[in-house]
This record gives sequence, structure tokens and C-alpha cells, in this order.
Amino acid sequence: MTYFILKRICVTFLVIAVTSVVAFLLVHLSGDPAAAMAGEGATESDIAAVRQLYGFDRPLIVQYFDWIGRVLQGEFGRSYYLRMDVADVLADHMPVTATLGVLALSFALLLSIPLGVLAALYPNTLIDRIALWLAVAGQALPSFVFALGLMYIFGVYFRLLPISGGATWAHFIMPAIALGYYATPAIMRLTRSGMMDVLQSDHVRTARAYGLAPWRVVVRHGLRHAIIPVVSLAAVQLGFMLGGSIVIETIFSLKGLGYLAWESIQRADIEVIQAILLVIATAYAFLTLLADLLNAVLDPRIRMS
Amino acid sequence: MTVAANSAAPTIDRSMSPGRVALRRALRHGSFWVGGFILLAITIAAILAPVLTHHDPTAQDLARRFLPPIWADKGSWEHILGTDNLGRDYLARLLYGARISLIIGLFTVLISGVIGTALGVAAGYWGGWVDLIINFVVTIRLTLPVVLVALVVVALIGSSLSLMIVVIGLLLWDRFAIVVRSATQQVAQREFIIAARTIGSSTSRILLKEILPNITGPLIVVASIEFAHAILLEAALSFLGLGVQPPEVSWGLMVSEAKTQLLFRPWMVAIPGAALVALIFAINLIGDAIRDVTTPEGRA
Amino acid sequence: MRGEPILEVKGLQVEIPVEGAVLRPVRGVDLSVSRGETVAVVGESGCGKSLTALAIMGLLPRAARYTCERITLKGEALTNASPRRWRQLRGDRIAMIFQDPMTALDPCYRIGDQMREILQQHRRISSQAARERSLELLRKVGIPSPEERLSQFPHQLSGGLRQRVMIAMALLCEPELIIADEPTTALDVTIQAQILRLLREIQRDTGIGLILITHDLGVVAGMADRIVVMYGGEVVEVGACDDILSRPLHPYTEGLMRSIPVPGQTKRGDLLGFIPGIVPRQVGERTRCGFIDRCPYAVESCATGPVPLSAVGNGREVRCAIPAEKRDPQAWNRLAEAS
Repeated sequence: MTYFILKRICVTFLVIAVTSVVAFLLVHLSGDPAAAMAGEGATESDIAAVRQLYGFDRPLIVQYFDWIGRVLQGEFGRSYYLRMDVADVLADHMPVTATLGVLALSFALLLSIPLGVLAALYPNTLIDRIALWLAVAGQALPSFVFALGLMYIFGVYFRLLPISGGATWAHFIMPAIALGYYATPAIMRLTRSGMMDVLQSDHVRTARAYGLAPWRVVVRHGLRHAIIPVVSLAAVQLGFMLGGSIVIETIFSLKGLGYLAWESIQRADIEVIQAILLVIATAYAFLTLLADLLNAVLDPRIRMS
Repeated sequence: MTVAANSAAPTIDRSMSPGRVALRRALRHGSFWVGGFILLAITIAAILAPVLTHHDPTAQDLARRFLPPIWADKGSWEHILGTDNLGRDYLARLLYGARISLIIGLFTVLISGVIGTALGVAAGYWGGWVDLIINFVVTIRLTLPVVLVALVVVALIGSSLSLMIVVIGLLLWDRFAIVVRSATQQVAQREFIIAARTIGSSTSRILLKEILPNITGPLIVVASIEFAHAILLEAALSFLGLGVQPPEVSWGLMVSEAKTQLLFRPWMVAIPGAALVALIFAINLIGDAIRDVTTPEGRA
Repeated sequence: MRGEPILEVKGLQVEIPVEGAVLRPVRGVDLSVSRGETVAVVGESGCGKSLTALAIMGLLPRAARYTCERITLKGEALTNASPRRWRQLRGDRIAMIFQDPMTALDPCYRIGDQMREILQQHRRISSQAARERSLELLRKVGIPSPEERLSQFPHQLSGGLRQRVMIAMALLCEPELIIADEPTTALDVTIQAQILRLLREIQRDTGIGLILITHDLGVVAGMADRIVVMYGGEVVEVGACDDILSRPLHPYTEGLMRSIPVPGQTKRGDLLGFIPGIVPRQVGERTRCGFIDRCPYAVESCATGPVPLSAVGNGREVRCAIPAEKRDPQAWNRLAEAS
């Protein structure tokens, strides 16, 4: 078991390393970073100056290891636009994205898991149909359309919720829903199918045979087993949400990493873009690692082997 | 989504190939018809756009900005869905935007499908080191946030339609690889593959003639998922301004241009939004129907 | 006192609607168990014996439904009992032991927790008292170092131990009746004997009623007081154990007896008797004897209508239209040669 964990951790670090290379190459090979940073209307000498200042004239390998070396010391470079250390800029924006992600995931879980359980308990009835239709609708709705829709209904028409900024908890409600609902179909379906399987199992039959209260049978002996793959899926979905938050953050003017990425891309702020790619990829890698570890801990069959 | 109500099971002629059996079952499946109908309607509308409207979607008429659609006060048949902030006919933009969505969906699926299937078959058939390496590559792909990467590349290189297709195609092959890999593994274990190897068929022959035809079921399902995925991704990129650029039309772009009008003219957001939802919904229904008929157990 | 009836079931039917038809895997079964009595329900797979037990416990799968003329537990009529009443009875007054102890216990929880859960469901009892009661029972079923076992997970125990734990669980609330569905089928032969002996001891000590469901006549011989033979969803023969084993009346029971090798008589190379054919499909009403396709004595009159279960004295009942005198002793051999 420990061997498995160690192996998994090593793979995670390897993945992060290779991903950092890919991210670096993406940013540096998609056109000329110096030209991009210098902006439109820049002269040849302007571009050359930028190139020298930022060391873009060095061989790529050297640039990469220089960057990685600094990153490992906690130094992410300097934003040329904001004239700040990238590390500080990231630190300013990360809490918003993290909060948004966690809230979005919580919303998704709170909606899908009970629905999935109910759909499994009463298959082919109204509640099952509602759950499945919700899943289908969820997958067909682009997040920005949903976000604008929510904004119109709750922000403009009913004036219930604030539509921009991140000052209070209320500001996160619509963004969390808009970001989280996309994960609902997958989680709901997995919960439903897992529950349907487990409710047919022998140990649930035993629990019923001993007259245990229905909620105990369903939750302690049923959901406890069915939820295992859902936990992994939830961790992975959180990773997706962190990457996909850019659209939601720009719509609702939430100053998170996605918003920062958006601005930095427009301004060709290379150092920031690189750093954000690395941070989000790393977060995703660790979340999938967490998902695997949770799976191993919670699943009794894996513990046995 | 229930199957059609006739209780008599269709007689299956044993001489029909699995493909035809599946097609027959698909045709009885309600979702298949609904989804197919919607998709067909959108496709025909896109192809016949010049016939359905005489307006040029890019023609600006600043004297006729923000005209309301036919159902509102002061709407007219001249501009059935009204005009936008630059006086361009909304219906024309909607119809020509459909072309972009469908074209992007189609070509990106082709690219990502070829890449993903090739990787998946290789990983599933040869296993061992090949499988390990390909799995690693897939993991790397999954670790990178798709929207961000697409944005970065398009922002730095410049956005043209063909570039977008290539970028999205190069990003959305992961599910193909995963599904095709496991489907290939299952097929490769079956006796007829071993038989083909024993009679000395070349590997490429086995791959093309034995394995590929047997993984078409899951392959089509994934293709439909990724088709929808590509359309959504393009819409998001265009919404953020880094996708399709004016004067080209895209539904995502229409939503983006309309979002400042959300308060007073919500229909300008709702119309392209609804079009997107309808298209994705139709594709999902078809994909669901195909999945239901190609998996033996179907829905629980 | 011994002999006092615990369970009486009359006219149990189980129906499962499938596309366009209704399966009836259990048809008009009567069953009764008295205090201190072991009733063995014997039959091959598909005869409905497990479903009968599940129906009695109210554990049928969702798609199935059952009807019953009468069902009484120690005098209490349960024919129209509410689900809540059934939940109170299950685990408390009637307990069930299942075939595969490997899967019957929840792998995520420790033995002690699962036992405590059962106790606390049916009794107001503290965790400490529950623990003591659990230990007491683990000892009673012969499990060594019970304290350790309480904090172990099911996968840490061997098959035989797990089955003992299941028996201990069944006894937690001092039930009146235990239904054991193939309790030894999934176990080693040597362990089988131990488990059966354990069940016998417990019955002797506590006087509970025991319904033993099995397809193995060998298991029945040392355990049962009465035997109920089922075939095709119906009861085809009932009687005292020794009586049936020495003098089977129904052709199916005869066939079962013939397929058991007899130590000392059956020689190497002898063909074991078997009953050619398969179990009949269970749809619709019976229009003729259910065993007719496999019966060596069948005549035309067996196909004219359903055969009722009739009493033939000494507590014996049999569902056959052909009395012993009219049976051809060579019929089985001829049937075996023909197939």
C-alpha cells in the first residue's frame, strides 16, 4: 500500500515536470514573446530591447531551467505590466478562485448526490426522470449562457443577487452555481448507477434482513460504497473547474486567477501567463493524486490487497 | 427517455450485422429521432442560409441599429429577429453562425478523432511500454487546462478559423484515446483476433479490418461528445473575444456582443444562447441513443 | 415448550411480471415450523425455495410481489403487516443466514460495529452492553479470541469463521426462528460439518425453530426433523425426515435419492442416477403435473390437469397421481438409458 502511494506521488511530480515544459513551450513558441509584449506599433529596436531585457534571446533550454529554478525557490518572475512580483500577484488572486471552486463543487455535490440517490431508490419514476432530464439539460447549457441567464433572472429582473465583484458571500452565489452545474450530470449519473448496483448487493440484503432502518441501509451500507468513485470524480471535477473558471470570472468580474489570466493574455504578460498555467496544472495534478489516495483509503477492497 | 411503446420485440434476422441491428434499434429510440430532427433542421438552415435570408450577416447599417424582433413593438418582417448594435440582421447572423459551429465541430472531431483513435488503438493493442507512454501523454494533456491553453495559443499566434480548428483538434483527443484504448483492449482479447494472428495476418491488416470495425460503437459515442465539446469550446473562446473574429460570425461572438444589452434587450443574448443549447442538446440526444443501442445492457 | 408452532405460512405465491407475462416461481406453498424443530426445504436451483424464504422475510427484489393466504408468527397474523412491523420483526424475531458469508457482511465496517448496529436497532442498549452481548455470542459459536474479532473487518476472517459470525449475528436478539439459506454451500466440506453441528447445538440449547434450505440431501440427513421437497415452485412432498429418506413417495424425491452415492454400495464406475431434463418454465397456471417431462412413471392421466397435494397419513403429503403399487421399478433405468 505504501509502495502504491509512493509510486503515485512520484508519477505526479513527473507529470508536473513535463507539464511545466509543455506550458513553457506553448508560451514561448506561439509566436514571438518579445513582439507580443512590446505590443502593437512597436519598432524593431523596441522589440529587441524587450527581448534582451527578458532574456528571450537565450536558448530555450536555458530559459526553461532558469525559470524552473526560480519557481522552485518560490520566485515566479515579474509581471512587466503590473510591475509586481508574479508570486504576489498570484497570491492576491488565488483565494477568489479557490473559494469559487470549492463553492461550485459543493453546489454540484449538494445537488447531484441526493438526486442520484433518490433516482436510484425510485427508478423510472418521476424523480428519476427529473434527475435524468436535469443531467441532460446541464450538459447542453454552455456555462456563459447559463451565467448570463442567471445574471438576468436573479440579478437584473428580481434584483436578488449582486452581479459583479467579489466583496461578499452573496457575490459568489451565482458564479458558484454557473461554474458548478456543469459537473452535476456526471456526478449524478455516477451516484445513481453506483447506488443501483450497491442496493442489489448481498450486504445490503443482509442489512435489510436484520431490520435496520431504511436510512441506515441506504446511507451507511449503500451510499458508503457508492460514493467512493464519486469522491474521485469530484476531485477531478474541481480541477476542471479551476481551469474553466476564466469564463465565469470574467462575466461576474471576480478577480481570481481566471480573470488574471484573461487580462494577462490580452496584455501578453508572459511571466504571469506561464505562472498561471503552471499553478493550475499543478493544482489539477495534486487533485487527481488526492482522488486516487482517497479511493485507496475508502475502498475496502483496495485496502485488502 | 423511453423506447417506443410497442411491446412486441422486433424480430432480429440473424443474418444482420451488429451494425444494422444497432441502427434498427436506434431508429426505434425516441431520443434519436428528436435529436436527429433538430440537428438536421439546424444543418439544413445553415446550408440554405443564403436562401432563407437575403441579408448579409456582416452588412452594417448604423441607421437601423437595435431594431426589435418580430414579436416586439415596432418589429417588422424585414428583420425577423431584429438587428444588433451595428445594424446587422440578427437572423442572418444566426444562420451563418450555425455554419461556423457545425464546420468547427466537424473538422475538429476529425482531427482529434484521428489522433485519439490512433493513440488509443496503439495503446490498447500493443500494451506494455507503448501503453505506458501513451497513458502518460494523455495524463499530461488532461493536466493542462484546455480553455487557457487554447486562449494562450490563439492570442499569441493570431486567430483564424483554420487555426482554431487545428488548436481545438489538437486539444480534444484525450477522450478518444481513453475510450478507444479500452475498447481495443476488449476486442483484442477475443478469439478472432488471435485467430487472425495465427494465420499470419499483418498487424496493419488486423488493426484495420478486425479491430476498427469492432470499436465503432463507442467511437461514435465519443465523437458525438467531442463534437459538442468542440462547439462549446469555440463558443467560449469567441465569447471571450479570442475565437472567431469579426467580420466572421459565431454564436459565441453574438452572445459576447449582446451581453452589454442584457438589461434592456435580453433576447439578443437569449437567441444565440438558445441556438447553442438546441444544437448541443440534439447532439447529446443522438449520442445517448447510440450509446444505449450499442451497449448490451442499455440503461439500468 | 417443544412443538408449539412458531411460523405458519399458507398459500404463498410469488409473482414476477416480465414483458407480456407473469412468472410464478412460487406457487401455493404451505410451510410451518414448530419450536425446536428443523424443517429442511429441499430442491434444485430454480425450484423457488430461496424465493420462498425471501418472501417470508419480506426481502423480495423490487420487481417481485407476493400474496399469501395466511402467515402467522407465534400467533400474530402478519398477512397485512406494515413494512414497519416487518422491520421490527426482522433480525429480532426472525433472522436469516445467507449462503455466501464473503459478500453478506459489509466490508467497510468492523464486525463489532455491525453487531452493535443490529442490537441497537432492536433494543435500547448501551455500546458497552452491546459489546458484551456480542462477545458472549461469538464465544457461543466457537470463535477463538473474540475480542480481537470484534475489531476486525470481514475480509480478515476465514470463510468458516465468517459464517460463524453470521450465525452469532442471527442470535443476537434471541429470535424464535432462523432461516438458513444454503448456509454451508460456499464452505469447505470439513467446515460444513462444523457449521451444521453448531446449528444443531444451538437449536438444542435455545429451542429455536430452524428452516434449512438446501439442495444437498446429505446435509439434510443429520439435521432435519421434517423435510419439504419443492419442485417447480410447488411443494411436492412433505414428511418426517427418516420417513422420506427411507421411503420417498414422489418420483422427484426418488430421483434425488438415487443420485446420492451410498458408501459401501455404490462402486467405482457405477453411473450415478440423475434426473434427465430441466426445470419447467414458470409462466401461467399449471395445466398438468409439473414434473411430467422428467417423470419415469408418467402416464396420460398426468397431463389432464394440475395435481393437488394430498395427505397420505402420518403427516405425509405428496403431489403425485400414481400410487406406489402402480410404478414400474425398472422405469428409472429405462429413462437413464434413453437420455
